[in-house]
Amino acid sequence: MQVHKYDVVIVGAGGAGMRAAIESGQRARTAVLTKLYPTRSHTGAAQGGMCAALANVEEDNWEWHTFDTIKGGDYLVDQDAAEVMAKEAIDAVLDLEKMGLPFNRTPEGRIDQRRFGGHTRDHGKAPVRRACYAADRTGHMILQTLYQNCVKHNVEFYNEYYVLDLLIVEEDAVREDGTPYKQKRVAGVVSYDLASGELHVFQAKSVVFASGGAGKVFKTTSNAHTLTGDGMGIAFRRGIPLEDMEFFQFHPTGLAGLGILLTEGARGEGAILRNSEGERFMERYAPTIKDLAPRDIVARAMANEVREGRGCGPDKDYVLLDLTHLEPAHIEAKLPDITEFARTYLGVEPFTDPVPVFPTAHYAMGGIPTNITTEVLQDNDTIVPGLYAAGEVACVSVHGSNRLGTNSLLDINVFGKRAGIAAAEYSKTADFVELPEDPEAMTRGLLSGLLEGNGTERVAQIRKELQDTMDANMQVFRTKESLEQVLNDIEKFEERYKNVTVQDKGKRFNLDLLEAVELGFLLDMAKVMTVGALHREESRGGHYREDFPDRDDEKFMKHSMAYLDSSVTVGSSAESVAGIRLETKPVVFTRYEPMERKY
Amino acid sequence: MTTIQSPRSGNIGSGKIAPKYTRTGGSKGNFEMLAWLFMRLSGIVLVVLIFGHLFVNLLVGEGIHAIDFGFVAGKWADPFWQIWDLAMLWLAMLHGTNGVRTIINDYAEKDSTRFWLKVVLYAATTVIIILGTLVIFTFNPCPVVDGVQLPGGFCPAP
Amino acid sequence: MTTEMAEPASKIELPASVAGDGEIPTFHITLRVRRYDPEVSEEARWDDYKLTMYGTDRVLDALHKVKWEIDGSVSFRRSCAHGVCGSDAMRINGRNRLACKTLLKDLDTTKPITVEPIKGLPVEKDLIVDMEPFFQSFREVMPFLINKGHEPTKERLQSVEDRERFDDTTKCILCAACTSSCPVFWTDGQYFGPAAIVNAHRFIFDSRDDAGDMRLEILNDKEGVWRCRTTFNCSEACPRGIQVTQAIAEVKQAILARKI
Repeated sequence: MQVHKYDVVIVGAGGAGMRAAIESGQRARTAVLTKLYPTRSHTGAAQGGMCAALANVEEDNWEWHTFDTIKGGDYLVDQDAAEVMAKEAIDAVLDLEKMGLPFNRTPEGRIDQRRFGGHTRDHGKAPVRRACYAADRTGHMILQTLYQNCVKHNVEFYNEYYVLDLLIVEEDAVREDGTPYKQKRVAGVVSYDLASGELHVFQAKSVVFASGGAGKVFKTTSNAHTLTGDGMGIAFRRGIPLEDMEFFQFHPTGLAGLGILLTEGARGEGAILRNSEGERFMERYAPTIKDLAPRDIVARAMANEVREGRGCGPDKDYVLLDLTHLEPAHIEAKLPDITEFARTYLGVEPFTDPVPVFPTAHYAMGGIPTNITTEVLQDNDTIVPGLYAAGEVACVSVHGSNRLGTNSLLDINVFGKRAGIAAAEYSKTADFVELPEDPEAMTRGLLSGLLEGNGTERVAQIRKELQDTMDANMQVFRTKESLEQVLNDIEKFEERYKNVTVQDKGKRFNLDLLEAVELGFLLDMAKVMTVGALHREESRGGHYREDFPDRDDEKFMKHSMAYLDSSVTVGSSAESVAGIRLETKPVVFTRYEPMERKY
Repeated sequence: MTTIQSPRSGNIGSGKIAPKYTRTGGSKGNFEMLAWLFMRLSGIVLVVLIFGHLFVNLLVGEGIHAIDFGFVAGKWADPFWQIWDLAMLWLAMLHGTNGVRTIINDYAEKDSTRFWLKVVLYAATTVIIILGTLVIFTFNPCPVVDGVQLPGGFCPAP
Repeated sequence: MTTEMAEPASKIELPASVAGDGEIPTFHITLRVRRYDPEVSEEARWDDYKLTMYGTDRVLDALHKVKWEIDGSVSFRRSCAHGVCGSDAMRINGRNRLACKTLLKDLDTTKPITVEPIKGLPVEKDLIVDMEPFFQSFREVMPFLINKGHEPTKERLQSVEDRERFDDTTKCILCAACTSSCPVFWTDGQYFGPAAIVNAHRFIFDSRDDAGDMRLEILNDKEGVWRCRTTFNCSEACPRGIQVTQAIAEVKQAILARKI
């Protein structure tokens, strides 16, 4: 058994992981474990910008930003967290600039800012220029800049180390009110070295999860192939709850069939959506702001057009993004990426032909629950000492039920930094938690089960069927029936998954084996999301129940918390799902009262 | 089936290389820069020298029919053409040698191969430059051996 | 100053080709993949796979089809699948490209499409190479902002022109397509390579940076910019359209200008 000892171990080297590593690496002995190479992380795919109330081009202040974030999240946002994020956004942007990020500049040489969906001045009065950007590759520049600074600070990376287990021990403890409970403590992680196929145990005083989202539970997604919810799955399997998993953002304009994202900026620049009859259908759904309505509303409208038979293409399964009335020079100057993507992947010339688009699964609002110092919660208010989470894998919750554009890049920087500092500071005062006996046991069992099994089921086939049913039943429109359909399907998939086969039996770069492992996480995540969606009998932000089309603050103005609990049987669960216990957590309010969400 | 080259790690499939490989012997000084600069400058000068040479030898007057021993002897009697031809010799040799040196650097895969190829190259260059220089400056149009004028149409009969 | 754009028509006639009914073309290809797995054999070999692919499928889709439906042991790296992460640089029909940006219909599908690992880096398995030498060169050029002055409380100022100066080289995704297309790199892999120089260029020409001289000194090495033979392989290979050879030339000029 190979055991490495570090003060801090960071799982994931995307924006949040590397931002944490820069802080932690200067304070404590830090290792970053990533299943890819750091610069391959999906932070690099972000285009639009990163909002901060710098007020470089017009009047702005962080309090307005807080309000926009809360309203955008349909009031399911923890307001203390949103305040922290909006306030620290300014330093987050300035930190990045000082690290070398090449932001676009104003004529005076300051960081330039532009408008973005949902960001307004003075509580919704007018759009505000708040998004700091670097051309149309802000995420790419953030990822590169953070990696460059990790190189500068000599951060130790373990590239292509898949973290497959979180080592947690439980201790008996007593709450203030005298009730006994089990206090979880983190001892480290178990990882699989892709190059050699060996397991490595990393013992650490602090562990930071920054492993990103789980978009691959859906077929049409803007997410990378590698975003399979590993971090959430590992924590969930070790008894950490997952918060608000039913909320998944669908971005309206993904390239049809591929899911590759075309930035919201396209519609900002004047592009419009049309159905197969050539009609600008958003006029019917949002008569005033039409195509610039919030993401969830536009996505639903598009899905509805297709459902009512006004979709385009051989299978009538997409609508069109029309840029043909815009000046080619204007498009080329402002939206070079869009035109390139449309040309490369669909062979469509956007100057003359409309581009096929359909909503694409984009971002998990939910995740591992944390407080505002990024400490992971094992229940509504008990932290797990030494365990931290930041970025898409975490749920602070700053995004509530619908994330505002650009707030993800902000999230990773603000909370990544907080996580890095907190983890390093904690490691100075804490001792190593003793590793459990045979720490690799569970991982070894998982891998050998897959490698030695002589099943007949193909991983790719099950994954495809899972993604198909999720797209068909768990996407922008959900009903009790459709969700139950998904749960039924998942039950069958789980059965088939036990009989799965891995063709590659080798030790070197066995990606075949890891795809099988990842499918396990995908199944877990899909199930948690669906159970949460079934439980939430209301429509809010990214979660839309056709059988409950209105927001219900009375019953559901609270976070959902899903726990893995083997004692829950089909009979004892309200959702008739064994193994998952759903609880709720109150939303934190500071100064904003819920209002109807209108733009 | 040929194998794909695997620099720094020896044969294909020899496993992971050490994470901190070292670039063999970094250079101090500006030799490569000066060599690069020399190639460009000498190239320009050589164009002038060579075309001047070809023009004078092949086109002026009777052109190619005028070339004989006497013609060459006549030219080298003039210090101007001595310097011209000397410059041409040195620049062309150094330019060519440096070119072949970079080719050896680019294509030789083993340090020992590289070393021996360069030894041969530099030796050849040195010999040719020395010989050529000697020829230009020690050239005697009317050599007299043992009091006898060697044949040649250029020299007046004694 | 903004001219109000005319509101686009509420309804337009769509040509039948975009409104639907069109058939998605399918075609047959032979994918010839270079296989190498030292656990099985020290010898590399070519495996052919006959596949039916659709209209806008890319080489990556074909590779996935092989891995997911035929042979799970075929190994290659990939992540984002739309050309921004840089995982899947490989040699396709002898040229370095990203598999996720190369459409099958743009290749000659009457002949087998060959897919090999990028050249010049140690092959680990099938299309996977050891990237460590590549990243080592990257790290050696000090690819991070070094600023000696005071930290301002707000951002450092930079004019629009100064920002534009190094814009092209900020696009690099470190996919290694350029470095592994360079014949000079193929020989012994000692050359810093285009990618490292591009990333040095990004900082040398950043007006906020104070360590340009140090980077120029590093690249004045005998394995530095002077080994570039301007074959333009790198510019041609770059999936991001960076003018790599030009960037290298600008670094050469900067070194000369500094010395003379």
